[in-house]
Amino acid sequence: MSTAIEVRRPGPGSWLTLIRCEAKMVIRDTAGLVIPIGLPMLILVMSASTAGDEVVANGRTVLDVHVLPLVFTVVMATVGIVNMPSFLAYYRRTGILRRLSVTPASPAMVLVAQAVVSVLQAVIGIGAALAVAVLVFDANLPVRPVAALGLVLLAMAALYAVGMVVAAVAPTPNSAVAMGLIVFFAFGALGGLFGGRGGLPDPLARVGELLPFGATVEVLSAAWAGAAIDPVHLMGLTATIVLGGVVSAVFFRWD
Amino acid sequence: MDDTDAPAVVAENLSKRYGGAVAVEDVSLRVATGDILGVLGVNGAGKTTTVEMIAGLRAPDSGHVRVLGLDPRHDRAKVRQVLGVQLQQAYLHHALTVAELVGLYRGFYPDPRSAEELLDLVGLTDRRTTRFERLSGGQQQRLSIALALAGRPRVVILDELTTGLDPRARRQMWATVEQLRDERVTVLLVTHAMEEVERLCDRVALLDGGRLLALETPAGLVARAGAANLDEAFVTLSGKELS
Repeated sequence: MSTAIEVRRPGPGSWLTLIRCEAKMVIRDTAGLVIPIGLPMLILVMSASTAGDEVVANGRTVLDVHVLPLVFTVVMATVGIVNMPSFLAYYRRTGILRRLSVTPASPAMVLVAQAVVSVLQAVIGIGAALAVAVLVFDANLPVRPVAALGLVLLAMAALYAVGMVVAAVAPTPNSAVAMGLIVFFAFGALGGLFGGRGGLPDPLARVGELLPFGATVEVLSAAWAGAAIDPVHLMGLTATIVLGGVVSAVFFRWD
Repeated sequence: MDDTDAPAVVAENLSKRYGGAVAVEDVSLRVATGDILGVLGVNGAGKTTTVEMIAGLRAPDSGHVRVLGLDPRHDRAKVRQVLGVQLQQAYLHHALTVAELVGLYRGFYPDPRSAEELLDLVGLTDRRTTRFERLSGGQQQRLSIALALAGRPRVVILDELTTGLDPRARRQMWATVEQLRDERVTVLLVTHAMEEVERLCDRVALLDGGRLLALETPAGLVARAGAANLDEAFVTLSGKELS
């Protein structure tokens, strides 16, 4: 009597609809967009005027090599570590994930849709910052643009993996925001958010460049300057993706 | 066995504890295809835990469940195609409109009811551009019922169908359930409204303290308790007042 039931999973149209819906959720939560777009822009504007036009390497200035990588990292880190986990924690708390789990859509669809929307947010944030930097402050594009693009994707995945851990272990939406901000500022402080890592004690500076925030700043800086990319940073990012993926998969709860 | 004679839902010896507390103890029930079963009991009687185990949302500590012959946890993907669930406490994406949510949930199913039909069923046609967060509690609940019916389910679980609805909306939901009966959809209706049970249910599962006290027709329940009506029968059998 059960043979008549055919499993037909939601098709591409359904995925697109879900991604559109998740995007609308983000756009309509206007306050949530202020941090990933506004905060990096603020850092850019404040640093750009003092960065000066001193050339570091290959015609790239301090603004290009030091300020822009930091600004882009802040965009990706706020989207991945602060915004995304707060959405997921809210979805879990209010039973949205639970409701979805009794439809043919797996809640995993929500994770993928969130990932897509996060990438879109990052693209918008980075695009806006880059446009202002180039048009207003005469910033230059990276010496190795293709590498820069690939590194942005790798960094986004690593920061998203950190966010997944926050989303997995945070019991409530408020604690997700709190944990996300703490992780963001801790990784940021060790990764050059408040001035270069040069000012930190050696062991901390070393840890900071392995953590995803510092590693992202370093690899983007290298791509901009046309310098060699230190494999240690790539390993730091890759290890974060693997570790974050495993930890969040173990601890993640749908309800 | 003919398709229509097989029970649509079978639960055998279901037990569930939370920590040390018994939520459900040795509950067995069968629901014939096309029947409407009322799951009745005071708060904490184990109603929601029972239907959540049937929906596959919770794993029973012991016992097993079959929905249309399938294990809702093991054959999850198949069961999700044919089972519609309205959860007692589930919010939807708060910033999406009624029409957007209906579109989202319809998209999960291969052959969904039309958006117009769904909105009409629950009387939300004039609210299609309203965001979920701006709907009243009763409207949110009606939308949640519409979404449970989106995929043309053969079995529907409705947890607290009309709690918190005004009389007009309540009658509208009853009419919706009667339409499901006409379509030979099997319905599990969690409720503590006697009027609802009398009007809609073919049989009643009376739960108390996690145990099944009776599984009978409403009339049979009244007769067995030697009571004048269902309210009285409930008090006699469970020793408790409803609501």
